[in-house]
Amino acid sequence: MTLPLPSGERVGVRGAAAPGAPALAPASSLARWAHRHARWLFPAPAVLLVAAIIAYPIVYTVWMSLQEWFISSLTAPKFIGLANYQKILVADARFREAFFRTVYFTFLVVTAETVLGVAMALLFNREFWGRGLLRTFAILPMVATPTAIALVFVMMYHPTLGVANYLLTVVGLPPFKWTYSSQTALYALALVDVWEWTPLIMLIALAGLASLPREPYEAAWIDGASTLQAFWRITLPLLRPTLVVAILFRAIDALKTFDIIYVITQGGPANSTETINILLFNQAFSYFNMGYASSMAVALFATVMGASLILIKVRRTTTW
Amino acid sequence: MSRDHARSNHAPATVSRRTVLKLGAAAAASAATGPFVWTPARAQGFNWKRFQGKELFFLFYKHPWVDEIVKFIPEFESLTGMKVQYEVLPEVQGRQKLVVEMTGGSGGVDGFHSSTHVEKRRFWKSGWYQALNGFLEDRSLTPPDFDWNDIVAGAKAAVLQPDKSISGIPTFVDPFVLFYRKDVYAQKGWKPPRTVAELEAQAKALHNPPGMYGIVYRGLKNANATPWAYMLFVMGGDYLTKDGKSAMNAPEWVKTMDLYAGMLRRYGPPGVVNFNWYECSSAFMQGQVGLYYDGVNFANQFEDPAKSKVAGKVGYAVLPAGPAGHFTPTFTNAMAVSAQSRNKEAAYLFCVWSTNKQNAVRELLAGVGVGRASAWSNPEVKAKPKMPQDWYDAYLESLKIGRPGLPEIAGVTEYRDLIGVAIQKAIEGAPSAQVLADTHRDFQELLNKTEG
Repeated sequence: MTLPLPSGERVGVRGAAAPGAPALAPASSLARWAHRHARWLFPAPAVLLVAAIIAYPIVYTVWMSLQEWFISSLTAPKFIGLANYQKILVADARFREAFFRTVYFTFLVVTAETVLGVAMALLFNREFWGRGLLRTFAILPMVATPTAIALVFVMMYHPTLGVANYLLTVVGLPPFKWTYSSQTALYALALVDVWEWTPLIMLIALAGLASLPREPYEAAWIDGASTLQAFWRITLPLLRPTLVVAILFRAIDALKTFDIIYVITQGGPANSTETINILLFNQAFSYFNMGYASSMAVALFATVMGASLILIKVRRTTTW
Repeated sequence: MSRDHARSNHAPATVSRRTVLKLGAAAAASAATGPFVWTPARAQGFNWKRFQGKELFFLFYKHPWVDEIVKFIPEFESLTGMKVQYEVLPEVQGRQKLVVEMTGGSGGVDGFHSSTHVEKRRFWKSGWYQALNGFLEDRSLTPPDFDWNDIVAGAKAAVLQPDKSISGIPTFVDPFVLFYRKDVYAQKGWKPPRTVAELEAQAKALHNPPGMYGIVYRGLKNANATPWAYMLFVMGGDYLTKDGKSAMNAPEWVKTMDLYAGMLRRYGPPGVVNFNWYECSSAFMQGQVGLYYDGVNFANQFEDPAKSKVAGKVGYAVLPAGPAGHFTPTFTNAMAVSAQSRNKEAAYLFCVWSTNKQNAVRELLAGVGVGRASAWSNPEVKAKPKMPQDWYDAYLESLKIGRPGLPEIAGVTEYRDLIGVAIQKAIEGAPSAQVLADTHRDFQELLNKTEG
């Protein structure tokens, strides 16, 4: 690499590259070595850090997933090859149910959040009195601590003492079982997630809306397009790349949802709200079945990774 | 909310001014003569100071017994010249930390307050409990008035392992008892039930929704495994066959399931399928339920008028007998010494001090039930009851018919989840025999995996 100097002279950064260069050449051999390998040397601390806190745990988890190990001081891990994966894929009905439940939950919440989030963004994109204040209120659910929210919902969902059923009876509806029935628990949890995370989609969509050009709209109005047509034909296509990013964020997050489920239902009633994350947490920290839990973690990792790759590909092909 | 037999929400122990004065005097006396104010002469020969200058570290789970004992740790420090550090964590997180520490073999934890109903077998199989047999016999480590035989039999059984080693010194014994609405019973001229059939008949008669539901107990999976034990025992069921196999295919299990899930379905409040002790006790304290059974120590909050609409209206009774006899499940905690500790003898001194007669009385005065018989007949406790008299009676009677509530296997938590899910399915209408057939298979698989 060479740098142009104001005088027009060129100086080689890598020591004595240019003959007759000023005294930039290093004195000691160590410094010369450092100079020669600067492109490895300078990023090295960051690379080592990443390796230690990201790569090593992943590799170790994969290694653990090939073992059978109930945590204990007396029995060592036993290498069993791919037996854990075989169990996950073939034998373990509880895992299979948890997997499809996770996917279903993710689909539910991301769909609802996208529709509601875009609607809210369109609303807040208009000028009206008190917009700033209302927008601030609208993003509050996202700011609160998920565990605290979950504890509040535990009380609100209580079938006889909770405020949710009280409100239903006030408007003349029959009480509902919320998280206290296998049939409804997953939907009640989805409602909490939608309440909490719709603002995220709204925020990203709002940013997208703010950056849209005005010209296509003016052209469309001159051609006599209705508001609805403008939304379907202009706003949505132009917003699509932004929305794909928002959906990607939410989908990855929703696949890993843990806190609200753990606090509100712990996977129950029966196993009706047990997602992969809850199941693997139980395997690891309640049953101390580390090898098997690791294989589930790897499976979840692969799922999240796969979903992200698909979405990124979708985004690439739809970029204008 | 803890997954375990959680007791973290108890009312804080209150100590009256007179108690404090008395304890202050006791502390002053103990500095000179040892902590046993009753028998200073006998304790005189015991050398508490032999580990002077050592530092000990204890890991505690949040628990009313722990809340009370840590107040007196300075007294132990001045008695022995040792320094005590401790950490208090919620039970589930505390156990995770302990397991990680022990697996790593750091030796950083000298002792812990063990929940034997969950940990007994796994920790023993992992070699984490220091056997205390030798220490208990050693006169230079166990003060002469410690009196091991003062500890009730059920609690001693809870710390005794198959190889006859003693894994800890019992602190807190929690039997399940029946809570009922004394005022309603008086109105109807009823007495608390003596048999399971009477219990069911009363629940049925009390059931008058939405004003009053007949009965409540835990429906939530894992948490429900502890009240389940009561019905299983009185219906004649057991966890394991004689050769250590799953006994869930016995007809008693189906009968128990019909009873347990059936009563909740018919006479329980809506949504009871996901009720932990927290929801159960809230419903009871709101006056919505006539009968409730759970750990005896949950009662502390019932008598607090700030929290409870039924303060002063609650009756306490021993759980009724069933066709197979009269039992109640008990859950025992114990102070244990870590086998990896570098100061085992010193940590053991803390165990014997914290569980001695005087501290047992202090705990009981604070409304924390202990496994020492002498504390219950102590005149000071009798003179100033913190709870109604029938609470003490129900507690003591229950200790006599107590039986360890959970199977003594390594995979206790996994067992609790398995039976817990089966119970929830049955409450929601699945046939008992069918859910138990599935659970029997899974339980046997678990035993093959962890007990082999």
